[in-house]
Amino acid sequence: MADSFNYRELAERYGLEPLPENVLRLARLVTRQEADLDEMTWVIAQDATLARRLVRAADPWTENEKDCGVVAVRAALLRTGVRCVLLLAMSAPLTFALARTFHTMLGLELKNLPPEWEPPFFGEQVLCVIGFSGKAAGKLFLRLSPDGARRVAAAMLRVEPEQITRDADISDAIGELLNMVTGNLKSNLCDSGLDCELQTPSVGLTRQFEIEAVPGGGWERAVFHAPGIMLFVDLTVNPWGS
Amino acid sequence: MPAKILSVDDSQTIRRIVGGVLFPYDCILYEAANGLEGLVAARREKPDLIILDISMPVMDGISMLTHLMEDPELKAIPVLMLTAVSDHNNVVRIAHLGARDYLVKPFHEARLLEKMSQLVPLRKKSAPLPAG
Repeated sequence: MADSFNYRELAERYGLEPLPENVLRLARLVTRQEADLDEMTWVIAQDATLARRLVRAADPWTENEKDCGVVAVRAALLRTGVRCVLLLAMSAPLTFALARTFHTMLGLELKNLPPEWEPPFFGEQVLCVIGFSGKAAGKLFLRLSPDGARRVAAAMLRVEPEQITRDADISDAIGELLNMVTGNLKSNLCDSGLDCELQTPSVGLTRQFEIEAVPGGGWERAVFHAPGIMLFVDLTVNPWGS
Repeated sequence: MPAKILSVDDSQTIRRIVGGVLFPYDCILYEAANGLEGLVAARREKPDLIILDISMPVMDGISMLTHLMEDPELKAIPVLMLTAVSDHNNVVRIAHLGARDYLVKPFHEARLLEKMSQLVPLRKKSAPLPAG
């Protein structure tokens, strides 16, 4: 297509935010299946947070988490495999997108809790799932209590929770929220060369949840908290889905 | 004459938010849950502005936009994309197709109002006349 519209100009005009440069670079390296480990190690080592998460993913019981230099990153990379890197790299923009969505649409400040702080979550949960398929394949899961889901829907529609009387209103609001977050993830994947299409969100109630990673993919969990709401987000992705 | 605005989104929540933003204004809001319904409504009502999502069942927003721009009676209607999808290829493709503006979800209601106002004149509803 003749690019008579300059993307940078359009992005500026529309107020679009680009993917962080290191994530984009890393994703492009992962996309090439014969990725250069040295280059990948170097890019990861430049991002202290990502390096720490990779080292931790390679060895959850490590006591030497502070050593995230090139040697430690390379060893972790060899241990986890390249697929894990994309998952970790995409998790940070995903967390940001979720927090921004809650802040913008609901006026709620989400606090990101470490997964090990996860309290037991028994009983009925509202589960929303959106899949994506293409060069990258995966699923994004969002879980929260029925009461939390009602609060979220009410905040989105600017009404009191008691005014939400139809389950369909809750399902639609939760589905649309996750759609916003997954749309952001899909855009990041596409801009990294991993074209994919979103599926329609499905929302339902469940008493048991056990994540099933997509074939060949890894998974990552994040836990968030806002007043009266505990939110669990699981992402599974295989960067070489097709 | 009140402005006629068509909101095309498979999420009723989004259509209600759009309705809430427009409530203080003298306008008629039409709603459609997918691109096909949107096209039917656009042909029937000839709205002054279309607010269009991309990811929808039955017919997506890009297909609807393509049909709108191929129709001599509809192609002049300004289209504001309101979508969570913002990747390079889609943004450029949509600009090529002729959408007038783009707002990425999540969005601030004030920003949506600002963008709609740039595409169609919006007048506040006049206060009711005092009795007597």
